[in-house]
Amino acid sequence: MANTERPTHRRPIRWYILVFLAPATLIYTIFAIYPILESLRLSLFQANENGATFEGLANYARLIQEPYWAEQFWNAFKNNVLLFLMHMLIQNPIALALAALLSVPTLKGAAVYRTILFLPTLLSVVVVGFIWQLILSPLWGVTPAFMNFLGVGSFFKPWLGLESSALVTVTLISIWQYVGIPLMLFYAALLNVPEETIEAARIDGLNGWWIFWKVKLPLILPSLGLVGILTYIGNFTASFDLIYSIQGGLAGPDYSTDVMGTFLFRTFFGFQAQLGDVYMGATVASALFFIILIGVALYLFGVQRRLQRYES
Amino acid sequence: MLITQRLSSAGIHAVLIAYSLLALFPLALIVINSFKSKKAIFRDPTGLPLGDNFSSKGYDSVLNNSDFPLYFGNSLTVTCVSLVLILLLGAMAAHALSEYRFPGDSLIGLYLILGIMVPIRLGTVALLQLIVDLGLANTLTALILVYTAQGLPIAIFIFTEFLRSVSKEIKDSARIDGLSEYRIFFEVVIPLVRPVIATVAVFSMIPIWNDLWFPLILSPGEETRTVTLGVQQFIGQYTVNWGAVLAALSVAILPVLVMYIIFSKQLIRGITAGAVKG
Amino acid sequence: MATLSLKGINKSFGSVDVIRDLSLDVNNGEFIVFVGPSGCGKSTLLRMIAGLETLTDGAISIGDKRVDHLPPANRGIAMVFQSYALYPHKDVRGNLGFALKHAGIEKQEIDKRVNNASEILGLSEMMERKPRELSGGQRQRVAIGRAIVREPDVFLFDEPLSNLDAALRVHMRIEILKLHQRLRNTMVYVTHDQIEAMTLADRIVVLRDGRVEQVGTPLELYKKPVNTFVAAFIGSPAMNFLQANVQDSSVNLEGESICTLNAKDGPVQLGVRPEHLVVSDNGPFKGSVSVFEHLGGESFVHLALADEQSLVAKLDGEYIFNPGDECSLAIKAEHCHVFDSAGRNITE
Repeated sequence: MANTERPTHRRPIRWYILVFLAPATLIYTIFAIYPILESLRLSLFQANENGATFEGLANYARLIQEPYWAEQFWNAFKNNVLLFLMHMLIQNPIALALAALLSVPTLKGAAVYRTILFLPTLLSVVVVGFIWQLILSPLWGVTPAFMNFLGVGSFFKPWLGLESSALVTVTLISIWQYVGIPLMLFYAALLNVPEETIEAARIDGLNGWWIFWKVKLPLILPSLGLVGILTYIGNFTASFDLIYSIQGGLAGPDYSTDVMGTFLFRTFFGFQAQLGDVYMGATVASALFFIILIGVALYLFGVQRRLQRYES
Repeated sequence: MLITQRLSSAGIHAVLIAYSLLALFPLALIVINSFKSKKAIFRDPTGLPLGDNFSSKGYDSVLNNSDFPLYFGNSLTVTCVSLVLILLLGAMAAHALSEYRFPGDSLIGLYLILGIMVPIRLGTVALLQLIVDLGLANTLTALILVYTAQGLPIAIFIFTEFLRSVSKEIKDSARIDGLSEYRIFFEVVIPLVRPVIATVAVFSMIPIWNDLWFPLILSPGEETRTVTLGVQQFIGQYTVNWGAVLAALSVAILPVLVMYIIFSKQLIRGITAGAVKG
Repeated sequence: MATLSLKGINKSFGSVDVIRDLSLDVNNGEFIVFVGPSGCGKSTLLRMIAGLETLTDGAISIGDKRVDHLPPANRGIAMVFQSYALYPHKDVRGNLGFALKHAGIEKQEIDKRVNNASEILGLSEMMERKPRELSGGQRQRVAIGRAIVREPDVFLFDEPLSNLDAALRVHMRIEILKLHQRLRNTMVYVTHDQIEAMTLADRIVVLRDGRVEQVGTPLELYKKPVNTFVAAFIGSPAMNFLQANVQDSSVNLEGESICTLNAKDGPVQLGVRPEHLVVSDNGPFKGSVSVFEHLGGESFVHLALADEQSLVAKLDGEYIFNPGDECSLAIKAEHCHVFDSAGRNITE
């Protein structure tokens, strides 16, 4: 059989790569990337009689200087920072301690504990918010009754309703729900510490407590960095759900629990007499975008790079 | 030595049991009281729903006198369709990124997983305009498209990492067996990624089912309300009907609980494996 | 059953040339082994024959048919992979029959071929098992069986034994040899292991940096390596190379004449295989023992020569040395290899 076809050695266009990639890329570009870029663009405009005009960074200047906006912005920003710090100082140490206990190799029933401790994380924030609202409510009286039982009943206060304690209470509820995520990350990292390293430390004469501080902790530092950045992103975006469902869009009492998410929601949609403002909404969202970007950049270029030295 | 070991082990269990109770008690309290009469809820909050205490009135008003079945259907539709799209499109993109070399491949790979770090919520202002312009406001389609876009980055990341760890030779083998690139995807790659499908599914499903932000903004209409938004609105209206409020909360917890019991192994394995990589 | 011919094959990835102007003719029924260090292009070459990589230039024919423009399935080849590449979701029977089912062959015929292959390979007992329930050796057998059922013109093997442990590797090597004797197909086999190459091949192709260094039977390569690269690659332990001088048609090492050579005076490399060295009181290789390894039946003595060169010799198990002992070795002139400064073999 004579060969009549001349092989060209040129690969035909591989359309299938396009077919595999295009649907995901299109949906992602249109509904995730484009809106973010468009929000950034909108933040440079202001509404007036004939539509909108380009105002450069004027909106950002208003946001941090004009009393009406600046007061809310800095208040929300301060609350977000407090929220972040409290999560870092309370949630993550608790998670680390629980993970350390869970990863004790001789522990029986670790799988059961793991399942239970992660459960609250999966629930809707709305549901969690309401559950705690009911439990802490003076109307129902579950908490006062429980505190009476412990003999500290006189200390009960409607914490969610008090300006001084609302933010802390909301934080504690959030920690109750989300402690499972850092817990799992730490737990995985601890399980990943090679058994030989621990045995070597034991032969070097270290006991359990020192093995944890001197051997395991340095080895899981990268996951500490990861938990830090996840906590950071979560605080600036996801905190909306909890606060909106417990305290409403006004983030009461008297804005004491206002965060960037609720501030953005009010700015964009308006509330009470105030009308919503698309352009200021976009500005708040974009400010949030840059705040997160700075955090991620710090993490990627600073924290993670330094931590990775420990990996090898 | 043995005694101290026993003591410390007992101490560890004590701490873990205490924290487990803290995690479970509020949920148990809600579910137990949802089956009680209003009187019993207030008189005896920690009692079991037996005898006089028992009442299913709360569920009655939630399931029969409200639109909860509708909300439930909406949530189910949105979650399932988004999930199928995320899994299918995510696996397709991950396959392309892990299997073929082409100009700009790593750039596209990076672009597609950017969304893990940048929350899609930040584009809400423009997203709402886009949805309105497309005539999709107050539709489930809007939610499905947004959740698909939101879930794709992490799905693509997990699938790509996994597929890169799988031998390429099996796909070459299929090529020698004469399969087209499309059939290789459906007949070889899909069965290969089966172990991580559950992980990706739970990872993507939970935030969709629980989300409040997008239903509130994109589809707040009565007809397209999801369970989470429904609960939020319902409780706002019925603050006096405690039985109904508690029943509504229980109804919202239940499907997640069932899913978790079925998939907790895969989910936790997925988180731990992902963390090891990351 | 077919010949395989490669003509002027070139392959480059971007600016990197992986295969450079390679031509080779493989006879019908021949077992040919591509061997070389990692990165020499041997696997790429095999994948081009299979149709998994495109050619930059050149032509590949199987039988009389030019195949380099055909998809893998239409080339009449079957391939066995290093990682076995079994479909994890199909049982052994499903794996064996998959290609045939896809090609639309009748069920009866599929069953016949699958049963035949499973008998040849001793897989009949485990037809319903999934790959994860099989041992490494069994998986490799299934992978080979999957190639057999396709009744290909040419079998391609890509380092098929590399994932097996040492004992199993020896065993499977013999099985593959038996298979070739039974089927008499043309087989192309890629390995980095020169022992596999020596024991399996009718002819060996030694590759380096995308070029053929030498093609020949195992014995030709062993006895007449064209250069130091082939000489060092074939044989274990590897050949010793010593700096020597040619003077008056005699190859001298430290003033002692080792063999004769008709060449200009000047420096050369003397190649000496460890197994050709023998203990001799007045041997020309004199030095002190630095390391001595005894393996029972045989032993290796590492010698530090006076001019700071070193040498390994493979001796009978009857010799025993201690580090520091003096030792002198000799070699027959016909076992000496001499290479010029460019590494080319200039032995007469």
